[in-house]
Amino acid sequence: MAGTHIGRRGAMAAGLGAAGLAAGIGSSAAFELDGSRKILVYAGGQPVPVLDPHVRYDWSTRMIQQSVYDALAKYVNDPPQIVPWLAERWETNPDQTVWTFHLARNARFHNGDPVDAEAVRYSFERGLRLNKGVAWMLKDVLAPEAIAALDAHTVRFTLTRAMPSFLTYIPMWYIVNPKQVQANIANNDYGEGWMATNAAGSGPFRLRRFEPQSLIHMDAVADYWKGWPQGEHRRLSGVIYRVVREPATRRALVQRGEADLITEVPADDFDLLRDARGMKPEDHRGMTTFAITMNTTKGPTADINVRKAIAHAMDYDALMQIHNGAASLMTSPFPEQVPGHIAVPGIPRRNLDRARQFLAQSQYPNGGFELEYVHVQGLEDPRRIGLALLNALQPLNIRVNIVAQPWPTMVARGARAETAPDMVSVYVTPVTTDPDVIAGKYHTRAHGQFWGMHHLSDAQVTQWVEAARVETDAPKRNALYADIQRRVVDLQPEIFGMLANRRWIMRDYVRGFAYCPLRLTGEVDLHPLWIDTA
Amino acid sequence: MSIGVASSPFAQRHAAKLRQARFFVWSFTRSPSTMLGLGIVLVFLALAAFGPAIVPYPGDAGGAMNLGNRLKPPSAAHWFGTDEMGNDLFSRVVIASRTSLWVGLTIVGIATLVGVPLGLAAGYFGGWVRATIMRVTDIFLSVPGIVLALAIVAALGSGILNGIIALSIVWWPGYVRLVDAKALALRNEPFVEAARCVGASHARVLALHILPNCTSPIIVKASMDMGLAILAAASLGFIGLGAKPPAPEWGAMISVARTYMPNWWWYSVFPGFAIYLTVLGFNLLGDGLRDVLDPKSSRS
Amino acid sequence: MWAYIARRVALTGLMLFGLVCVTFTVSNVAPSDPAALAAGPDATRDMVETIRREYGLDRPLHEQFVRYVSGVVRGDLGRSIVTTRPVVQDLARFFPATLELVLLSMTLGVALGVPLGMMSAVLKNRAPDHLARFVAVSLVALPAFWFGILLQLFFSIWLEWLPTSGRLDLATAPPPHVSGMLLLDSLIAGQGATFGQAFAHAMLPALVLSFPCLASILRVNRAEMIEVLSADYVTAARAHGVSRLRVICVHALRNAMLPTLAIIGLRWGWMLGSTVLVETVFDWPGIGLYAVSSAIAGDFKPVMGVTLLIGLNFMVVNLIVDLLYGVLDPRLRAGA
Repeated sequence: MAGTHIGRRGAMAAGLGAAGLAAGIGSSAAFELDGSRKILVYAGGQPVPVLDPHVRYDWSTRMIQQSVYDALAKYVNDPPQIVPWLAERWETNPDQTVWTFHLARNARFHNGDPVDAEAVRYSFERGLRLNKGVAWMLKDVLAPEAIAALDAHTVRFTLTRAMPSFLTYIPMWYIVNPKQVQANIANNDYGEGWMATNAAGSGPFRLRRFEPQSLIHMDAVADYWKGWPQGEHRRLSGVIYRVVREPATRRALVQRGEADLITEVPADDFDLLRDARGMKPEDHRGMTTFAITMNTTKGPTADINVRKAIAHAMDYDALMQIHNGAASLMTSPFPEQVPGHIAVPGIPRRNLDRARQFLAQSQYPNGGFELEYVHVQGLEDPRRIGLALLNALQPLNIRVNIVAQPWPTMVARGARAETAPDMVSVYVTPVTTDPDVIAGKYHTRAHGQFWGMHHLSDAQVTQWVEAARVETDAPKRNALYADIQRRVVDLQPEIFGMLANRRWIMRDYVRGFAYCPLRLTGEVDLHPLWIDTA
Repeated sequence: MSIGVASSPFAQRHAAKLRQARFFVWSFTRSPSTMLGLGIVLVFLALAAFGPAIVPYPGDAGGAMNLGNRLKPPSAAHWFGTDEMGNDLFSRVVIASRTSLWVGLTIVGIATLVGVPLGLAAGYFGGWVRATIMRVTDIFLSVPGIVLALAIVAALGSGILNGIIALSIVWWPGYVRLVDAKALALRNEPFVEAARCVGASHARVLALHILPNCTSPIIVKASMDMGLAILAAASLGFIGLGAKPPAPEWGAMISVARTYMPNWWWYSVFPGFAIYLTVLGFNLLGDGLRDVLDPKSSRS
Repeated sequence: MWAYIARRVALTGLMLFGLVCVTFTVSNVAPSDPAALAAGPDATRDMVETIRREYGLDRPLHEQFVRYVSGVVRGDLGRSIVTTRPVVQDLARFFPATLELVLLSMTLGVALGVPLGMMSAVLKNRAPDHLARFVAVSLVALPAFWFGILLQLFFSIWLEWLPTSGRLDLATAPPPHVSGMLLLDSLIAGQGATFGQAFAHAMLPALVLSFPCLASILRVNRAEMIEVLSADYVTAARAHGVSRLRVICVHALRNAMLPTLAIIGLRWGWMLGSTVLVETVFDWPGIGLYAVSSAIAGDFKPVMGVTLLIGLNFMVVNLIVDLLYGVLDPRLRAGA
């Protein structure tokens, strides 16, 4: 680090009580400087405990992984597209069971090794053998032995059956440098221990400092093999991702210019900052569905009329108001961006008369029972939605007991139908736009997963999901998904809620921000970002 | 005066005690800080008792919702402003005093009921009984209550009841320590030995001779602990392990309100003040009681 | 003396075992599936099973207990599910930050508490005394988490004098690792600017953390001082022309030293515990924040580890204080 001068605006006030120091703050250039290049500071609430791309992903982790690693292809734009990245092109046979990828010839890992077919093969094998993180996406159709490096620049995957969604998962499988991993193996762990805090990638950034719970500092790779879209002269010196758990602190940081970009902004803060001087909002329709899953096997919610009564009593306006309008109500179990989505006619909206009619047809015509509503401890929006639910069900004489539990407890309870709570708030972020990911929520195999806490067993839905999963003819596939959506709405295993917008606040000199719904909640593609001081 | 004395054999028989009581009251009322503490505690008790009857929007503590009225600053209609669900903060802060009173009383009550008998047994019997009880006590005393309570509530799930269970589990050892030391000192006092010589049972000695002599420090500690228990429960609430919504609780309110600082400052300022004043009241009262009842220990 | 120490150490071991029993029970009372946390939301059941085997969570409870206890003996506190690292490594990373905070606030407590207590005693029953006593009671009653937020708001966001959270400014590289305490390490490395930054960051949390301790020290010193000022030998000394200031400094200070020391010992473990709140407010990456975030997520090995570490600290510091007492007060040595 010698020779690198890092200057920053003068907010350091070690001389306590020196009132004069306050004067200069706010007017000086806000971003961090590294020589003549700028460092972009992104403040988010979620740490990056494990960097290993084959072990874990969530939005903050994925963002750093996407920055230090490359995959064969990459998701860009809205609506999302898959563009070639490490692979220049690919082809598949007619029944979509054999996929061949041709690699870019100039790709280099950060240590100078070429990104060759063997590296790709090794990376996929590693992901499958570790059986963690991304493994679920491909493990059912791809055996580690079925990946072959045909020559230095060609890889072939042979699937056990047709899988129309195969390509949609490829951007999430990052390629690691086998040599670096092999050099750091301990106890046959595929280098898992080392890879948790170190990187062996070829991405646009390399790690400078990695403190999982507080700060990640990455340097831009000067001669990145794929180049810099904003132009070499404008690219950043690097990016600092800072973990700031308090929303109020994040807001203060962006206001003071100590952060250039923040996310997980509460709705009220967002409205406050949106029009403030020097701020630029990004506000996009999200893909994360919020639903209140009901236990379809026990208690009052086992009665479909009770479920329908609840769904018609729910205060959908409150869902919108809690987000200050920055959300859209679900029109189907599927998010709108998913191919095959249809707006299901008759999806419940608040209608107390109908709610009472349904309740009258149930075994509890006069209500008079209490339901448990469980949400993940520490989350604010589900707590507020619980309050809205409590209010909405009062006219039906149904009481609601709002309970916050840690995620592992909630999952442990929900895994079995006998212990699953009456109602659970569930956010689901699909990792691809393939409808199979969402439709699978209502398959009987979903029992035991957190989104399967409804324990719905419907032979019809299950059969359709399985048929659609392997159907390669797009119109037929979409017809099946339309049937599934209508059937699921009819069975009402959950209250279909809303999709909250994904939102960021940035300083107005930040350029190159590109939204793509397939990134996870707060994830930002850091590669094209730059800071315009002109 | 002469009538009172003449017609009251009670007063004659208990002249000494009455004199002592009058002295207590006199020295108690002489200290302004003690009276301040007493005043705060009385106001707190009154609010807890009559809160729902005197607040303008009692329904707001039970999960009402008025999203059109969110985050309004203090005004004539809403003295403390409104929160993010459009509820009246004044109503919620006042009614939350019930939760706090309940929390304080239950924790201190359970801690006394468990701790005092164990302390008496340890101090009075000595030997292996004492060794066993005190070792277990020491284990619990070796970890700050808040850390253990955090673990317990995290395991049980958040909620006032679980908070009370957790804090009671970490609170009783303090009473064992206190009573043990006192009982240990008392058991060799001549009047105790005398009682035992004339054949009084252990239970009788403990109940009639040891326990009454321990009451002063217990009362003082209980009064102080009321405040500290309320503070501890609020701390759990702040961490996010407090009362279940929609029940109002000061710590949980601050925990949510934190996000709304500084633009919606009233949201966290008022619940915080409520905690501060309540704890201050009990502490001042406890200090005053100690000066009167237990002057020897007033130094530590 | 040595026999006494040996017995105390043995007793500490026994108590630690008791503490392990307590924390193990606590972390297993509720049904929970920590493996699901590590595996991630989309993981299939057999992926969760992989994790469960890896962490030994598939074993019966009594076996897990025996494993944990034998691990503790070897200095292994298990693995955190959230960070996936051994708890001992995490503690080694986070504890110096907490230690720095606690040491700094102890210093603040003594530096402010002793003189304020003395002033209070000298001006007994005058306005400054009343004020100091009221402040002392207030400091105990103030909810640290709430007052911390207010201070942060005032000094960091409104006046912009102090940084809001964290230990160093963003782009500042930490000094070479020696103790892990940035104040100390930056001094060792001779980096004055880094030291200033670290100090500015630590200021508010340390202050908030010091309040209850400061209050106790103030009270003890006031009481000691009042006693000394009315003692016969002081009157005698005064009569012989020894100055009042000298009396105060020499006699009162010496007398107040023991109880102050006792308070530091008593408060030590307690302050480590309070970091749970203060570190949450100030985003201070120490063991308190580690315990809270783990507890909220339902990851119990770190919570158990933090509890044990604080318990151990408390016991060791108590032992040291007892021994120091013996050294400083010869009357107690015979009794020990």
